[in-house]
Amino acid sequence: MTSATERKLKESFTAYAYLAPAGIVLLTFWFLPVIVSLAMSFSNLTALSPVEEAKFVGFANYIRALNSEQFQQSFWNTVNYAIYSVPLTLSLSLAAAMLLNSKIKGVGFWRTAFFLPYITTWVAISVVWMYIFNRDYGLANWFLGIVSTDILGLETPWNLRWLAESRGIWEMVFETKAPRNLPFGSGAFLAGPSLAMVSIIITSVWRDIGYFMIIFLAGLQNIDKSYYEAAEIDGANAWQKFRHITFPLLSPVTFFLLVISLIGSFQVFVPMLVMTPNGGQAYDTAPIVFYIYETGFRGNWQLSYAAAVAYLLTAMILTLTVIQNRVLGKKVVYQ
Amino acid sequence: MTSFLFTLAATEPAGPNLVIRIAAILFVAANLAAFGFVISSGAADSDQNARGIWRKRLKHALIYEVLGLGAIFMVTPFYWMVSTSFKDRETAVSTVPEFMPKRATYTAPSASGSGEVEVRVIGTIRNEGDPRTVIPTSEIKFEADSSKGFTIHKETWDKAKEYKVEPNKLKRGEKINLSLQNFRQAWYSPEEGTRGRANFTRYFAVSIGTSVLATMGTLFTGALAAFAFARFEFFGKNALFYVILATMMVPGQVLLIPNFLILDQLGWLDTFYALTVPWLASVFTIFLMRQFFMTVPNDLWEAARIDGASHFRYLWQIIVPLCKPVFITAGIFNFLNNWNSLLWPLIVTSRPEMRTLMVGLQTFTEDAGTDFHLLMAASTMAILPIVILFFLMQRFFIEGIARSGLK
Repeated sequence: MTSATERKLKESFTAYAYLAPAGIVLLTFWFLPVIVSLAMSFSNLTALSPVEEAKFVGFANYIRALNSEQFQQSFWNTVNYAIYSVPLTLSLSLAAAMLLNSKIKGVGFWRTAFFLPYITTWVAISVVWMYIFNRDYGLANWFLGIVSTDILGLETPWNLRWLAESRGIWEMVFETKAPRNLPFGSGAFLAGPSLAMVSIIITSVWRDIGYFMIIFLAGLQNIDKSYYEAAEIDGANAWQKFRHITFPLLSPVTFFLLVISLIGSFQVFVPMLVMTPNGGQAYDTAPIVFYIYETGFRGNWQLSYAAAVAYLLTAMILTLTVIQNRVLGKKVVYQ
Repeated sequence: MTSFLFTLAATEPAGPNLVIRIAAILFVAANLAAFGFVISSGAADSDQNARGIWRKRLKHALIYEVLGLGAIFMVTPFYWMVSTSFKDRETAVSTVPEFMPKRATYTAPSASGSGEVEVRVIGTIRNEGDPRTVIPTSEIKFEADSSKGFTIHKETWDKAKEYKVEPNKLKRGEKINLSLQNFRQAWYSPEEGTRGRANFTRYFAVSIGTSVLATMGTLFTGALAAFAFARFEFFGKNALFYVILATMMVPGQVLLIPNFLILDQLGWLDTFYALTVPWLASVFTIFLMRQFFMTVPNDLWEAARIDGASHFRYLWQIIVPLCKPVFITAGIFNFLNNWNSLLWPLIVTSRPEMRTLMVGLQTFTEDAGTDFHLLMAASTMAILPIVILFFLMQRFFIEGIARSGLK
């Protein structure tokens, strides 16, 4: 053995001693579960029967999930949540960041005001918004009342059922009913998020704007000012400057935010549990994680089945990440 | 201002309110005009001529206006929460929102018939015309009761001092209330009736204890592991690092179910071990610290070694003080993560004694129904520690987040 390998071997022992405390915890509660979970998803284990009685059932859990109407609905609920909340949050926070970046006074004050919702806890703010969306005593309906009767002069005020409304917003706008016999329950997608889900989307946009705004702001401040000066000499207007300088140079930040917010929106759970404890009137606000929680725990205890659903969720998140990297990764411009 | 608008709305229930309507039309028109003026490109405009200066001023005014409206949208829910936590039930569920933290007060002829006193209406009302049972507010006391193992403050009064008043003799008023009554009541949730009991002292203790312990643990194990990655050359280093990075991609929900089983096998379900031990290490923290430790120049180690320092002493006496910001940032995020987590404690614990603040608040939401004044008081209490932490450490919060987007 050469002395270099000998030294490396010696150093390895020290290194592993330093890694051990974190390693033991991570091994037991992070790495091992990934494998246990995969094994579980092919068995019929429940929390009500002993582990020894579990049998191998192949892909039965996965097939059952994909054919389950509730799973399909929770899938579309999640898709609806992601598709409507992510672009809304990104565009509003980019707009806020650009306004803050335009030689404005009191940046610290505005930043704090916009950022405050993000640091507060999901449970508490969900409770507050549940009150705001209350049909009889909430601020939302009071505001709509002023707009509809006082300003527009309508006879009957707009009075929405918010968190208790399970019709999709497109169904409400076009006053129709989306077909519910489409493959994989995709009618729920055509119907759009239910008004209850829209209420939750408003809450989550409100909460996340500040976080995204701060990251956008840091990105904007990173752009070299000389690009703008050059554009101004060429007579570019505000839109052209945004289109040809800000947007492309900000694209790494936008891409990063798009990825993390899409992944985050597929894992959403807390606001739904607090604001609609049963997943909505017609299971219209239950995302996939809610479905996992309900089938795996909450009196059902079908651990294996829930593990299979969790793996389906992982597959979706990984697919999303890969697609994003393939499609958008190429268009990102680095300064 | 708002209460002025409400009075107008209340006196004129039918038909549109002209004041609000005209104000809204003027607001929209002024904004459209200003916006049009700002975006209309004038080739002759410059910083020198009047038109150019006005355009610039108006543009700034519009930016402030949009930011101001945005800030109102962001802050109103907080204001509403705090304001409601001082109201009584009646004010909290009035159909026209009351923006001030007010309480309804009632005055009635005193029991002896001489003069008027402030009273509290108690008991339920069956018919509109029935006499109301009242008790003078001066007779109501808060009494400590420790019969349940912890202290409850509840309202008590002498039953004999109650008396009945004809409804038309009862006068309603309102006053601004800044007493902490609701907080006290929410802290040990409604005593009477069928509602569940909340014990926020316990919830806070559990949350603070587990969050602090888990955060300290994560920082400690994270520093050791990150040091190993940054300082040593060892067999399997790259492979291990990629495994750690890959784990960051796995959504936490996948780990819930097997961890439930593992904790069950260990006999740790429903114990403090379940709430803390799995959170004593975090891949994200290790990754973050490693990035930071790598920037410390190697010369420092050479110097320390000449002075006879061990690796361990070098880590704690040189690296850690140098990398304080990363410890604060990682500490804040780990603490928030633990403090805010709901799904994990919901699954691994079930006894009421093991409830964290978030679980306690969530169950309280289901129990309290439409007692929004108590719900808002409880929410305010749950948010307050985090808001204080934020204002104390604002710089680290913002820098930590801003940095995450610029990798």
